[in-house]
Amino acid sequence: MSHPILQAEDVTKTYDGFRAINALNFYLFPGELRTVIGPNGAGKSTFFDLLTGRAKPDTGTIRYADSDAAPSIDLTDLNEYEIQRLGIGRKFQTPSVFAEHTVFTNLVLSLKGPRGVFASLFHRLDSSARDRLDSLLKLIRLDDKRHWKAGLLSHGEKQWLEIGMLLASEPRVLLVDEPAAGMTDEETHRTGELLLSLRGQHSIVVVEHDMTFVKQISDGGRVTVLHQGSVLCEGKFDDVQSNPKVREVYLGRGKH
Amino acid sequence: MLRTLSIFLFLLAAAALSAAPDASRARLLAALVAPADQQVAAVRALVGLEDAALVPTLTAWRAAELYLVTTGTASPVPALLAPLPGDADGRLQALAVADGLPVKDPATGQPLTFAPKELKALDTTAPLRRAIRDVLEVAGVADPSPAVRRESIERLGQSRKADHLPLLQARLAIEFSPAVRSALQDAIAFIQLADPAVEVRLQAITDLAAAHSLAAAARFKEQIALPADAPGAASPVELAALKTAVKTIEDHWSRVNFFGNLFRGLSAGSVLLLIALGLAITFGLMGVINMAHGELMVVGAYATFVVQNLFAAAFGPGSLAFNFYFLAALPVAFAAAALVGLVIERGVIQFLYKRPLESLLATWGVSLALQQTFRLVFGPANVQINAPAWLQGGTALYDVAFAYNRLFVIGFAVLVVFGVWLVLNRTPLGLLVRAVMQNRQMASCIGVKTTRVNMLTFAFGSGLAGLAGACLSQLGNVGPGMGQLHIIDAFMVVVSGGVGNVLGSVAASLGIGVTDQLLQPVLGAVMGKILVLFAIILFLQWRPGGLFPTRSRSLD
Amino acid sequence: MSAPAKLSDVEPRFFTRAQWASFIVPTLVLALLLPLLNALLPADSLLRPSDFTLNLYGKYATYAVLALGVDLLWGYLGILSLGQALFFSLGGYAFGMHLLLMIGKDGQYKSDLPDYMVFLGYKALPAHWEPFYSFPFALAAVLLVPALLAFVFGWLAFRSRIKGVYLSILTQALTYAAALLFFRNDFGFGGNNGFTDFKRVLGADLNSPATRRALYIASIALLAAVFLLYRWLTRAKFGHLMQAIRDGENRVLFSGYATARYKLFVFVLVAAITGLAGALYVPQVGIINPSEMTAEKSIEAVVWVAVGGRGTLIGPIIGAIFVNALKSWATREAPERWLYILGGLFIVVVLFLPGGIVSLPTKFRTFLAKLRRPPSGPTAS
Repeated sequence: MSHPILQAEDVTKTYDGFRAINALNFYLFPGELRTVIGPNGAGKSTFFDLLTGRAKPDTGTIRYADSDAAPSIDLTDLNEYEIQRLGIGRKFQTPSVFAEHTVFTNLVLSLKGPRGVFASLFHRLDSSARDRLDSLLKLIRLDDKRHWKAGLLSHGEKQWLEIGMLLASEPRVLLVDEPAAGMTDEETHRTGELLLSLRGQHSIVVVEHDMTFVKQISDGGRVTVLHQGSVLCEGKFDDVQSNPKVREVYLGRGKH
Repeated sequence: MLRTLSIFLFLLAAAALSAAPDASRARLLAALVAPADQQVAAVRALVGLEDAALVPTLTAWRAAELYLVTTGTASPVPALLAPLPGDADGRLQALAVADGLPVKDPATGQPLTFAPKELKALDTTAPLRRAIRDVLEVAGVADPSPAVRRESIERLGQSRKADHLPLLQARLAIEFSPAVRSALQDAIAFIQLADPAVEVRLQAITDLAAAHSLAAAARFKEQIALPADAPGAASPVELAALKTAVKTIEDHWSRVNFFGNLFRGLSAGSVLLLIALGLAITFGLMGVINMAHGELMVVGAYATFVVQNLFAAAFGPGSLAFNFYFLAALPVAFAAAALVGLVIERGVIQFLYKRPLESLLATWGVSLALQQTFRLVFGPANVQINAPAWLQGGTALYDVAFAYNRLFVIGFAVLVVFGVWLVLNRTPLGLLVRAVMQNRQMASCIGVKTTRVNMLTFAFGSGLAGLAGACLSQLGNVGPGMGQLHIIDAFMVVVSGGVGNVLGSVAASLGIGVTDQLLQPVLGAVMGKILVLFAIILFLQWRPGGLFPTRSRSLD
Repeated sequence: MSAPAKLSDVEPRFFTRAQWASFIVPTLVLALLLPLLNALLPADSLLRPSDFTLNLYGKYATYAVLALGVDLLWGYLGILSLGQALFFSLGGYAFGMHLLLMIGKDGQYKSDLPDYMVFLGYKALPAHWEPFYSFPFALAAVLLVPALLAFVFGWLAFRSRIKGVYLSILTQALTYAAALLFFRNDFGFGGNNGFTDFKRVLGADLNSPATRRALYIASIALLAAVFLLYRWLTRAKFGHLMQAIRDGENRVLFSGYATARYKLFVFVLVAAITGLAGALYVPQVGIINPSEMTAEKSIEAVVWVAVGGRGTLIGPIIGAIFVNALKSWATREAPERWLYILGGLFIVVVLFLPGGIVSLPTKFRTFLAKLRRPPSGPTAS
């Protein structure tokens, strides 16, 4: 098979003596939709922080492949915006949109394109960008609210808007942190379908708690279980669910 | 002028008369009335006489202001003239050299009074005046006051006259004060620098180097700078000794200066710490820097001023009780500033907990209003604060001067830090404060009355500012603009030290205080300050991601 | 309920026709009509704005440019800089150097050297003063000196992501340090007294009414130009990004924008323009000294913006004029009350009128609407 698009090897990160990430190994392959689960404090958000340049690992390497070759770009040297420009986009656990801007402007600011100061000064929307924005607005079902201030949207709508912003930047890798939080069952299901439809063109990592949702999106894909900052086990959803270690640390405790 | 001075000295001497040995006074009297041909010798013999009346009497004599007063049949009495207390006619009374008391009419027992012209001054001749001058020159060596002795000994040492050697050596044999002894040794060595014997000279150089005499270093340098063929130039051996000596002395003093600066830096850092502690606490709680913090400090300083005036009015400014006003002022300053802080919190800040930049502006507005209030109440000029006696002066250890008020500030800062630590870590309030600092919403959810905690914490931080103000009143001027002077440094401490982190504040304030003091002699006060500012900006570069990198799940 | 688009979405139009009118008319009145009336009408005419009035308005215009800069940084970008008066004064000092050299031998000491140099015993003009004989050089310095300082400071500060109150405090400390330097005689810029007694600019007598009119017109023109420039900046995608940085810098960072560069660009641009305003201010008031560059002055400029209404471009202009008019009045009528008024303004605006004066009409309308409607009904937010 091909090379991983993203690989973390032997990564450790300590905060004030607490090992949030401990000798973690993780490989993500092109076009894959990977689900990461784990109890609270397992290090899921910290793991995303390390991948996106928000935190630097104490030891270990994190590499990214911008072509089909083996991963060669060292992400630990780069900062947030450099990593984003390489094509790694992130959606945060708490939806973070530009609350004072309209839905439309939120998407315009996220649209793939030059990010420099002067590009922004002389920026104009061409018709293809406009079409892209229209189709994105339809996709995230905010077409009729495009002039709303993002701050006025419901929690679920903000989640969708943030997913839309993520897509607008056309990343190769999507890191999605708890996308279904605060959504109704129906919205959750639709989110799952959206993510599944993205698989193949994008490589996706989803961190999630909601087991129904995890089951939906894992759909034959791999599930990684994090525990105390390391990978406890990895495999298909059913294998993971029946794994006694997992039941002990996670399902067993959480689902009584 | 000279007359008044000598009379004053004489009166002083008279006051000390009971302690003066009669034998020395008798020798003095005898010299005054000795036959003309023996008088010069008798005067010269007075050298080394330990008698408080010696200097004033001889001074007066030389100035032709010593008189012989004849009373009835008795032999004439040498006396000085002094104004008669309560007499407006300008009549004078005679104070006898023998006992310093007014000369009385033997018939009536009343003090005799004279007009200035009625008496004839005791005669002097040129050789006699020279003798008196010589005696006076060295008289200080035997003065009862150690400070006077030291000064006159140092002067004799500077004169480099070998004639003075015996006198100084004689004095060294009986001198008991350590400070005067060391001055004597220095002076002797100084004179011996000109000794014909080279080993004596070398020994003198070594002695002076060991005594770290700055005056000696200056002289050595002069001598080193002399051309080799000049008269008085040092031999090679001596030259080497001189150079070593200069180095020893200069090393010593640069060490002394270093430690002196270090000490001043520590005390400046302690002041900063006192100011910044309250700031760091209120900042940690509300996330905003209280721009009126400096004015809260001034409230404390003015409170000290008011307490001082109350004590002065109640006990009198020189009284023993007055000296304790400062101890009473400390709690008053704390309470006054805490009260003002409470009003500010209730009136302004409580509405702005979520808008840090705006509360920074609003508190600036408060600070302007407070400054103007100080001006209206206490006047625009600085007010006079008299340090209690126990905070005046200082002590020295290995030539490093330790002023008492600075020592006090350091000790006080240690106490306050400890107190703050106790409050934050060992009291119910501290627990609540830390809970609110860490997570305001969560604390409020589990039933912490955050409003009350805010109020109390803000008042506590403000009270600390008041304490800092009280302390500062002992170190510098107290005026309406005083808060602005120190506040920027305090902000710097908070920026580089950390939020609600007592240890960080301690490290930052001591660091800034000491750096500032060590840089000042090299760069001047202003450049030192600017350099510290840039050091802080660079320090923040070194901590990438800012001082307090976020690592929560949500973004901001 | 539909929320109106606050920032027009697609291609924001620069100005509507009505907006063009409400921009051009006052600009023309101020920049042309007033000076014409001043020049042509007889001195006793009621319609004639006095020389003093023009001078005052010219000064206010430079203040307004300063305030616009504060607002662009604070209202749009979220950076509360307490150092804007420093950039204003640096521009003023740079131009003051030129003006001082233009005095020539007409100073008190009849020397080629500026008076204070003679007084301090300088023998020759320091080398870095020489180029300031040239007007173009002085103009370049007016723009570049503040810009350079802003660049160095901003680069260090934004790179290490210092923001919020930390940044405010550091800018205040920078200002404080600079003022300390300029207060010193041996720093070489006239110490306490600064520069004064200017005689001419570009060969024209500074005391003649014509020169003063020209300076006034230049100030109004600068204000108008800066207003247009900032309008353009804030309407472009750039402007949306500025506000996005204000509301959530990290999100912008994760959207791939190097926010530090955006902040640095605005900070430096504003510093240069503020310096230009300072350069126009100095010949109109006739003096520049270090008391102009203290943190207090910077914070006063922040009050203008807060009072006028931040996050709008008209607010700072209104605020600068309103507060300074109030100051002129108060220092004349009740000088001991001025600090109370200023401090009170701060507190009142922050607590009760965060939108400033420009938000008053909206507030008033909402108030009226509330009066008309029964208070019980659910109100849309």
